Amino acid sequence: MKQAQHTNEQLKNASNVALASLLNLTLLPVISFIYLLFIYKNTKPGQIDHYHAKLGIKLNLVAFAALFLVSALMILLGGFNSPWTWVYVISYFTIVHTIFIVIAVWALVRAWSGDKLTKN
Amino acid sequence: MKYQSQSIARLYFIAAIALFIGQILFGVTMGLQYVWGDFLFPAIPFNVARMVHTNLLIVWLLFGFMGAAYYLIPEESERELFAPWLAKLMFWIFLVAGALTILGYLLVPYATLAEMTMDDLLPTMGREFLEQPTITKIGIVIVALAFLFNIGMTILTGRKTVINLVLLTGLTGLAVFFLFAFYVPDNLVLDKYFWWFVVHLWVEGVWELIMASMLAYVLIKVTGVDREVIEKWLYIIIAMALISGLVGTGHHFFWIGTPDYWQWLGSIFSALEPIPFFMMTLFAFNVVNKRRRNHPNKAAVLWALGTAVMAFLGAGVWGFLHTLAPVNFYTHGTQITAAHGHMAFYGAYVMVNLTVISYAMPIIRGKQANNERAQVIEMWSFWLMTVSMVFITLFLTGAGILQVYLQRYSEAPLPFIVVQEKLALFYWLREFAGLVFLVGLILYVYSFFAKGKEVEIVEDLDMKKAVTS
Repeated sequence: MKQAQHTNEQLKNASNVALASLLNLTLLPVISFIYLLFIYKNTKPGQIDHYHAKLGIKLNLVAFAALFLVSALMILLGGFNSPWTWVYVISYFTIVHTIFIVIAVWALVRAWSGDKLTKN
Repeated sequence: MKYQSQSIARLYFIAAIALFIGQILFGVTMGLQYVWGDFLFPAIPFNVARMVHTNLLIVWLLFGFMGAAYYLIPEESERELFAPWLAKLMFWIFLVAGALTILGYLLVPYATLAEMTMDDLLPTMGREFLEQPTITKIGIVIVALAFLFNIGMTILTGRKTVINLVLLTGLTGLAVFFLFAFYVPDNLVLDKYFWWFVVHLWVEGVWELIMASMLAYVLIKVTGVDREVIEKWLYIIIAMALISGLVGTGHHFFWIGTPDYWQWLGSIFSALEPIPFFMMTLFAFNVVNKRRRNHPNKAAVLWALGTAVMAFLGAGVWGFLHTLAPVNFYTHGTQITAAHGHMAFYGAYVMVNLTVISYAMPIIRGKQANNERAQVIEMWSFWLMTVSMVFITLFLTGAGILQVYLQRYSEAPLPFIVVQEKLALFYWLREFAGLVFLVGLILYVYSFFAKGKEVEIVEDLDMKKAVTS
């Protein structure tokens, strides 16, 4: 029903960008993000593929800040040679990284069915 | 409930939950002994508490798997269970044997237990998780064979589905790999090989098949998504589980006297082990997103989704964290392993059992779902247990990282026991999280007795659309 509102091309693009977003967080960082930007440029506002491309870019930028900038700050403030720094950095990085992956997985299944991340 | 013999599952589920309570009580006892060494000593020494904690876990999970099989196989096979009397008989044999074994651990010294049970005739005792006396192990084999015969005959003479065949394969693997527990070579390295052939090939091999089929069954029931879609996912998941998990056994062979090639094989294949768990998350999210009905048992849907996510987190992510040989060189056998073990067992196997129990028990008791209040309490128990397990894992991870740094990475490494004293803060925090887990478990048990307003029947989303359009 919902899929009838979107063209096959848009659905395919939406699925591809959601997958790229997930890959950027896992197996293929940077390259996937460049692909994401490329698709984003070729989409029109208001369409499902545009929505998922924008969501993927936002999600990955926030993930970058939350994972690398915050971790760098922890190392800077805690000191590279302090064991406590690594207690915080490794625990924090692992759990927060996983949370972003789980969000990206949900975004992917929503993109497959032509839906936005949330119902509203 | 479609078939009368499905009700046998109730016995198994009740026993499973009772033993689960015992496991957690010993867990919090032992958690306290980490920081208060004399607590309950000499009545319950740490080594005995640990043995009871881990053995109860294994036994109650087996009860859960068997209960789930007795519930779902008649329905999948579209016939009554082949021999319901055998299932009942085996239940009591397994329960009595399990209870006697635990009492043996608690009431007599382990060496005396070995003498009493004539372990010298066929020595199999003394290995972690496989501490059971030989006679108990023989009992487990008899129960497993009778169980396999019963469900095997039910499936072979009934409808064969991907779900019941995958479950049967997993349960057969469980029985077969347990036989390695009877071979105890004198050479310690060889001994470790065969020990892991039981432990690893269970939890990172055939149990994944059992888990995936149980999860797939519940997801078909609560979402109404086509069986064909779910079966395709199941094929891919079990293929990935076996491809990665079998050779992935190698990650246990680092630094114990085995050939160096295991470092490569173990690292590469176990790095693939998060994939089936990742796919289970994708699979569960996908079918719940595409659901064609709003099942009234919201608690069961929550448990199903929670299983997929927590299994990925505990077994997948936390396993990967320390599985590569260069990392494992430092982390081998530290609290990081304990962190992984806790969340993986909870996320994968505890939660999948609770998912099936949550779905099946109301039906066995004659309704589609528990009343609203009972479900709210059950969902509270879900969150309390799950969040506290995340914290238990984080505290143990913190303890493990500090342990690695101080004991193994530092230029002036400290002795094990000195480091343990420095981890006390983490152990206290873990104990607190463990107590919250216990509260969650008490709420879970209470949810079975809570009274309230009954829920409405299944709402088929496709039908609703057809009516409104």
